[in-house]
Amino acid sequence: MTQDLVTDADGRLIIDVRGPRFGAAITATVLAVALIVQGPVGVGLVAWQWLMFTIATFAGLAWSPYGMLFRRIKRRFDLGPPPATEPEGPPRFAQLCGFLVTSIALAAFALGAVTAAWVAVGVVLALSLLLAVTGICIGCELYLVGRRLAARRGGGA
Amino acid sequence: MEPIMVRALVVVGLVVAVLLVGWLWRRRDGTVRETAADVRLADDHLAAVGLDLRDAEAGAILLGSPTCTPCDTVKDVLGDIAQERQGFRWVYADAGEHLGMAEEHRVLRVPTLFVVARDGRILARSSGVPRHDDLRRVLDHDLDSAA
Repeated sequence: MTQDLVTDADGRLIIDVRGPRFGAAITATVLAVALIVQGPVGVGLVAWQWLMFTIATFAGLAWSPYGMLFRRIKRRFDLGPPPATEPEGPPRFAQLCGFLVTSIALAAFALGAVTAAWVAVGVVLALSLLLAVTGICIGCELYLVGRRLAARRGGGA
Repeated sequence: MEPIMVRALVVVGLVVAVLLVGWLWRRRDGTVRETAADVRLADDHLAAVGLDLRDAEAGAILLGSPTCTPCDTVKDVLGDIAQERQGFRWVYADAGEHLGMAEEHRVLRVPTLFVVARDGRILARSSGVPRHDDLRRVLDHDLDSAA
């Protein structure tokens, strides 16, 4: 499944920009259904989405199940060459954000804080929707905040 | 009303709100704002990012991050402008390595672009991907007023 992947001169994975947006659309659909049905099925869907984020974050986007599905659809329906490509870094960071917030949601479910858990799911839903429709770069918005906090914690500025 | 209907409506409301925010965001993104006040980039900030304007007419500093896709698009735009104009110099700098500058000029996100005159005066700034014509307009305006 990974034989048609492209890397740049530094060996970084280069991906089709449509891939992350396709994945974000599936993520948004899964989480929207989860929010509506709730109950054990809803929690199960959140757990499934957490697993997707975990694989994409730690194994890399080459192993992301939604990414594999996208490549399959691309071949089957001959969607043509990518309109643009990008390194996997930024979308992988977005997957990490999704992983962190869905982890919080699952922890909240385990602790019985059901409302807090669904609010966290709503946050991930909103961000993946935003990515699917605008292609916005979430890592770009958080980068300076993160660096500032790190500098403060390190005692320097 | 059934609770499931209420939740469905909440989700629909969320979708509408996100689409609205996304639309507003895209409209705002990349706007080149000319700075009216006499705001300058400190010489040590210019030196820190390595922008040498001594034999230039104008320049630009792009603050970015390692995982920033739109930054690459802005680099392409700046490359185009530099090809058109002999006296235009630009540099890329990691915003996280220049937090003092980012803090002083209230840089909240990457990519942020500063267009500067040769004396370090900030002519314009933008966040997101600026349009070629907006940058050309700023540079033309500056060179006219300097002549």
